[in-house]
Amino acid sequence: MKYVDEYRDAELGQALATQIAAETEPGRHYKVMEVCGGHTHSIYKYGIDDLLPPNVELVHGPGCPVCVIPMGRVDDGIAVAHNDGVIFTCFGDMLRVPGSEHTLLDAKAQGADVRMVYSPLDALRIARENPDREVVFLAIGFETTAPSTALTLKRAKAEGVTNFSCICNHVTIVPPLRALLESPDLRLDGFIGPGHVCTVVGARPFEFIPADYGRPVVISGFEPLDILQSILMILRQLGAGRHEVENQYTRVVPHEGNLRALEVMAEVFELRPHFEWRGLGFISQSALRLSEAYREFDAEARFEVPGVRVADPKACQCGEVLKGVIKPWECKVFGTACTPEHAIGTCMVSPEGACAAYYNFGRFAREREAV
Amino acid sequence: MTSPSAAEACQAVPGHCITCSDEAIEMTVLSVDAERELALCETADGRRETVEIALVSPVRPAERLLAHAGTAIGRQGGVL
Repeated sequence: MKYVDEYRDAELGQALATQIAAETEPGRHYKVMEVCGGHTHSIYKYGIDDLLPPNVELVHGPGCPVCVIPMGRVDDGIAVAHNDGVIFTCFGDMLRVPGSEHTLLDAKAQGADVRMVYSPLDALRIARENPDREVVFLAIGFETTAPSTALTLKRAKAEGVTNFSCICNHVTIVPPLRALLESPDLRLDGFIGPGHVCTVVGARPFEFIPADYGRPVVISGFEPLDILQSILMILRQLGAGRHEVENQYTRVVPHEGNLRALEVMAEVFELRPHFEWRGLGFISQSALRLSEAYREFDAEARFEVPGVRVADPKACQCGEVLKGVIKPWECKVFGTACTPEHAIGTCMVSPEGACAAYYNFGRFAREREAV
Repeated sequence: MTSPSAAEACQAVPGHCITCSDEAIEMTVLSVDAERELALCETADGRRETVEIALVSPVRPAERLLAHAGTAIGRQGGVL
């Protein structure tokens, strides 16, 4: 396939792997965090970690939107979905994220009108088609998805659609990265930056990482050669004693981001004072809520929500996986009590979650090693 | 727990929910409805989708866009 095959060339991949090995210093162990769940998925799907020398370790970061949603927010969504007359809409993976007792898919089975949408604009279309029903959209995602929600709410306001509202769970990537860098139990040498988030926000928000913490960041595409080249660029920075933000994904990511998207987001959203991240706890100014001008579309103001904080199941170690402290297979319930079919933790729900990605792809490599 | 298969309906790439994952897809513009700010686009594997282009307009046929959740957020070449 044009535009795809050139980034999956096996010979080029091997050549990059050879250069990566040559760039490492003997006796030094490198820990590189891929921030985005999309990268985690690609790494396991294409066996990229199998191409790396043993002293280059990839640590999976908190950039899977589904994985960082705390159980209490799922319960809030389920409570709204059970209101008479409500059509509750959300993206596919959110249906299976466990709340304290149930998932949204369970709520659907119990009679709630829960529908999966591909885009928030689909939810708005459902609202237009059902003027006598309240249509609620459960918004999740980082800065990649937030512009689509913002655009949808702008359209709803311009068209005077009054039966549409949104539970806003959009999060921002920089505050959790800072929290991870401040974490005493995690030593990282560099970051593979989230290419699609950067399409919107640009490179500038990541400059604090080299400036304040002396770590390199390379904004990366999602194909295997993109990721291998980004790892090589990080190692070259480390080898040269440099630390800066570099952009491997120049074919898509402009340095300044998408200014029009940022303007729309600034109009529709404002920062929450704090927001709970699964496994990471409360992080200041790490999530978005609707601005005053769009408060009329806030489902949390329109409906009663429990708003209760729910502790994660004791057996679940998603928090440690999200912080990169343990590997997925080191979790006590990985692959036994917790599988993609019966997920206990959010990291096993979304294919971008480190546990699901590893369960689906990576475990076979470990099984081969064991043999 | 209910079957997970319902989630697969939004998975343009099998086993991979592109909307939940914050992943964007590179697509080629086939035709443009500038008035409604919509474009019919096609992925490398031939899947077609109508995409909102308000955040990247103006666009022309044959341009490459980066789309996520039904909205174009970037364009190949990185210039907006």
